[in-house]
Amino acid sequence: MKNNTSSIKKSGLGAKASRRISNTLIYIVLIVMTVVWLFPYFGIVLESLRMESTGRVDYMIPKEWGFGNYEYLFTNTNFPTWFINTTIMGLATAVLQTFFILSMSYTLSRLRFKGRKFLMNFMLILGMFPGFLTMILIYKIFGDLGLTHANAPFGLIIVYCASSGMGYYVSKGFFDTISKSLDEAARIDGATRWQVFYKVIMPLSKPIIIYTILMGFMAPWGDFMLARFLAAGDDLGKNVAVGMWGWLQATNPSTMYTRFCAAGVTVSIPVTAVFLALQKYYVEGVTGGAVKG
Amino acid sequence: MASVKLTNVKKIYGKNTLAVDNFNLDIADKEFIVFVGPSGCGKSTTLRMIAGLEDISGGTVEIDGVVVNDLQPRDRDIAMVFQNYALYPHLTVFENMAFSLRLKKVPQDEVYKRVTEAAEVLGITEYLTRKPRALSGGQRQRVAIGRAMVRDSKVFLMDEPLSNLDAKLRNQMRAEIILLRKKINTTFIYVTHDQTEAMTLGDRIVIMKDGLIQQVGTPTEVFDMPCNLFVAEFIGAPKMNTFNTKLVKEGDKYYVTPYGAKIEVTGEKATALAAKGVGSQNIILGVRPEHFVLAEAGAPDAISCQILVNEMMGSELHLHVVTENGDKLIVRIPTVSLTDDQRRSLVQGAPLHVTCEGKVMHFFNVEEQTNLLV
Repeated sequence: MKNNTSSIKKSGLGAKASRRISNTLIYIVLIVMTVVWLFPYFGIVLESLRMESTGRVDYMIPKEWGFGNYEYLFTNTNFPTWFINTTIMGLATAVLQTFFILSMSYTLSRLRFKGRKFLMNFMLILGMFPGFLTMILIYKIFGDLGLTHANAPFGLIIVYCASSGMGYYVSKGFFDTISKSLDEAARIDGATRWQVFYKVIMPLSKPIIIYTILMGFMAPWGDFMLARFLAAGDDLGKNVAVGMWGWLQATNPSTMYTRFCAAGVTVSIPVTAVFLALQKYYVEGVTGGAVKG
Repeated sequence: MASVKLTNVKKIYGKNTLAVDNFNLDIADKEFIVFVGPSGCGKSTTLRMIAGLEDISGGTVEIDGVVVNDLQPRDRDIAMVFQNYALYPHLTVFENMAFSLRLKKVPQDEVYKRVTEAAEVLGITEYLTRKPRALSGGQRQRVAIGRAMVRDSKVFLMDEPLSNLDAKLRNQMRAEIILLRKKINTTFIYVTHDQTEAMTLGDRIVIMKDGLIQQVGTPTEVFDMPCNLFVAEFIGAPKMNTFNTKLVKEGDKYYVTPYGAKIEVTGEKATALAAKGVGSQNIILGVRPEHFVLAEAGAPDAISCQILVNEMMGSELHLHVVTENGDKLIVRIPTVSLTDDQRRSLVQGAPLHVTCEGKVMHFFNVEEQTNLLV
């Protein structure tokens, strides 16, 4: 007994002290990571505010500050068109894709129908093929339908949403965690399947709805390959990524570099805004108390 | 308020897993029926078929004379309480209870009236503005019952509503369900695996095993005259002692001969045996623990055994004993019937001599395990 107590004392650090040390280490690592992460963004913001030259320079802090790059962006380029194109695509995709994914996932989670297992596996495997395999075909069909060039954004909305039901796994996994007896209770209480879905399951699924909306909204901002292909060089049909890339290709990068940075900062605004607006719904434990846990 | 009739109801899962078979039952208006049986016996499945949550593989279910086989749950006018409460976590207690009325577009003041009335009855008025997560298990179950009450539906289904509560609360809620039943006075179908709940709540009990009805009867009927060995052992706690022995007919009298003792069958049992013309044969004898009485050592009707475990329950003593040939029995003796000396002598390892009451023994056929008197 005596030996035991003394050996505990000898080990020196109390639980409190060792916890403090490990916390300090964790925070140091996190701070370093934050700096590494934020540094490029910080750099872009600084570049976009630089007034003295429009090309690259070998220093970071601007010598002359101003919003000239942003002004130029919205008055002398097609950037507003691209920005509106992408915003429309983002909003449309967010709404439609969320609807498709959630309906699909709920169906796969709750209904038992013939071929359900096969369908799930089939979609999983199909999803593993890269989307651009069908690019030529899509271009051909959409070309005939008039959904390329200036109308490319509408074509892209169709592409983004058409196969979205295949991304069912995350939300199906979430729905699987909601007790089925809630559905049953609601059905006995007189709800139709649809009422069960939007009156009982949807309010409980806020985190996953937000996740799906964010994924849908963000996809068009980063799409390049298909977007470029469908726009086929028509400036009116481009999204921001394709349009901005054009600056670095066609024109002299030394005249557009800071403006490119300003566009990059502008693009980050809607995405951040949507995220911040929806973030508060990321409440944990929304299903607490439903069933005996 | 309605009658429920099940005719040849059958449930097959997958290709050939038979969950319920040949289920025939007439439930009268305002009757309280309890389905009881071990887990996997098909009792919940049957209830869910009545509710419309499971497809019916064969036979018909009628509510108030209308075949409901192909009706959606919402068209059957039933209310159901789930084992895990199944409350809507995003709604307050009030809205949980009002949910079905809102779907039916009942006017607001009527909703308010019905919900507050039900809450009053269940004693949950002060919790109406809370979310389910802020309630204890017992309160949640009350809300679940309240949600079913406001419906005013034809049939009230309860699927093991007390199983998730702790023992004390379960006893309390059981008593409340009995009171509640008087207040709402509708047809109840109650599923449980607990024979105590079945005995105390049911007007009639349906005992099930492996998807088949074993016996349907009032609590007294199934307790006094179990139709087979399974029912005999399932109903009553601690469970009935059963052992192989002989039934001997000597002249007009019947005797059983367990463990070398010779005990006379008396009362109605003897009359019934004689009326059926039962002859001497090997039987399985069933004796409930409380039907053993202490006997003098050496008496011809005494079974001698040894005490293995002595459980003092307060009002009674549960003795787990072992007979001379190694069979284990449970003997239950009211404490008031024992002298202080006797209580001190009934300790682990001590010898014990018991006999059983001749008028309350149960006789089962060895092969079919059915009651000889049914």
